[in-house]
Amino acid sequence: MTPLPVITGLGFITSIGNDRATVLRSLRELHHGFERHEFLGNPDLSVKVAGTVKGFAFPTPNWRDWRWPGEFSVDRELLRGLAPHGVYALCALQQALTDAGLAPADLTDGRTGLFCASAGSPFLLGHFLNQMHANRGERGNPMGIVSSIAGTLNFNLAAHYHISGAVCGFVSACASSSHALGYAMDEIRLGRQQRMLVVGAEDMTDESILPFASLRALSTNPDPATASRPFDVRRDGFVGTGGAVALIVEDAALAQRRGSRIYAELAGWGQAGDGHSVAASHPEGAGLGAAMRRALADARVNAGDIDYVNAHATSTPAGDRSEALALHAVFTAAGAKPRISSTKALTGHGLSLAGAMEAGFCALAVAEGFIPGAAHLTEPDPVCAGLDLPRASLDEAPRLVLNNSSGFGGSNVCHLLRRPS
Amino acid sequence: MNMDSSPSTRTVASGSPIDQAEALRHLPPAARAAYHHFAASGEVQSLDPVILAILEDFIPRKADRPLGEYAGDTRLVDDLGFDSLAITEVVFFTEDLLAIRIANEEIIQVRTLDDLRGFVRRKVTERLAV
Repeated sequence: MTPLPVITGLGFITSIGNDRATVLRSLRELHHGFERHEFLGNPDLSVKVAGTVKGFAFPTPNWRDWRWPGEFSVDRELLRGLAPHGVYALCALQQALTDAGLAPADLTDGRTGLFCASAGSPFLLGHFLNQMHANRGERGNPMGIVSSIAGTLNFNLAAHYHISGAVCGFVSACASSSHALGYAMDEIRLGRQQRMLVVGAEDMTDESILPFASLRALSTNPDPATASRPFDVRRDGFVGTGGAVALIVEDAALAQRRGSRIYAELAGWGQAGDGHSVAASHPEGAGLGAAMRRALADARVNAGDIDYVNAHATSTPAGDRSEALALHAVFTAAGAKPRISSTKALTGHGLSLAGAMEAGFCALAVAEGFIPGAAHLTEPDPVCAGLDLPRASLDEAPRLVLNNSSGFGGSNVCHLLRRPS
Repeated sequence: MNMDSSPSTRTVASGSPIDQAEALRHLPPAARAAYHHFAASGEVQSLDPVILAILEDFIPRKADRPLGEYAGDTRLVDDLGFDSLAITEVVFFTEDLLAIRIANEEIIQVRTLDDLRGFVRRKVTERLAV
């Protein structure tokens, strides 16, 4: 029998909650995680809002000054090699392992792999490079590289948990952790691994978010209640966030043997490039449409079978329009009308974290029997006419859910989650 | 990552003067007081609690009791769990704080708490004599 990847554990450190129950409540009741935030201590900047991660503090690059909620344990041996998002990731992974009923000793026999995604830590990397220039290269923090470059999550977590299966990091900007999850599914389907730990994370720092202002990609709406409003006609950019989400993916046979709770089956995935622009989405969402079709084909289902789409929509004028057109091409054209929402209206855009975070939300929707509403949507963009964007969360149990992600360079990834049979 | 702690001819030059307040900020008050006493008096034995505090600060896994309670022949690597990365951090920090230069081949001769205390006293005495 072909192995079937299923999700058996979830861990959340997000702007809308640092545990599953809080995240679930935020999604059901549409509580956002935004606060006013003064970037770089400069009140003159037009970007005013961020999706803050509560209970954590990284006031300086020195790990001795960092704080995290007391229920999580972070050894200093590990801490010295971590970025802020590495701390988030460790906390999320501790949660997910507990949720899945796994102990660290269960992860070391080579049958468990680890796929991670983050952009690295611009906050730490900038600090270390400044230090290096200041002392003319005569000094460096020995952990400077492993704590700050992209890959820091897999370096640290693989060593800490003694992972001897597949270990890799994925870099496709805002599709990164979606790629990590997609390829983790393949590791299981190909019989290479029985279990995959998938972790997406990003720093929630000015250095990670503010550079997107140069692309005019960030919202300048100062109101936390409306700054992120995907598909709304008045949307003006995304709100940045950070955090970490960990998913435990196992072969269904192993999960059943262990008696694990199965949140959702991972029925298929697809990816496609736009072949268009380094930064902008294809104007008609060509790659995203192709990725959705490939995910449907991989799972052997039709557009009409999909109950809910967790859209990538980040609240940028061009990106949301492009996705709406892709959704029309795949669903409306096929006479299908799934429920659609972007939970970035609540969380903000988590960049490399986004895909895993939203896969986690989709798993909750499938397991708990609800559909997250399209928060902050008052006047849908006319391009969305004919798309079903429920304003409130619905007590409807979706059987098949599609999770969309798109990244720079037109990298599009879609996962298909299914209610366990 | 495997930090190179093998013998080499490389000597790490001490960098530009550092911000003492920032360097000492994470050390406990008694160690900060000991450092200031050393800075005012030049008494190198005052540095012993500073060295212990630096070790406490960089030790990979917190020891089961204060390092001051360990015997002088306690080994940094084998008994206290220091690895090459942590040793490197201790060396860099100590060089900057005390304006001394520590060559790789010197530090690999330092195995115990007493070795380190004696080594730092000697290096600082040499520096003060210049």
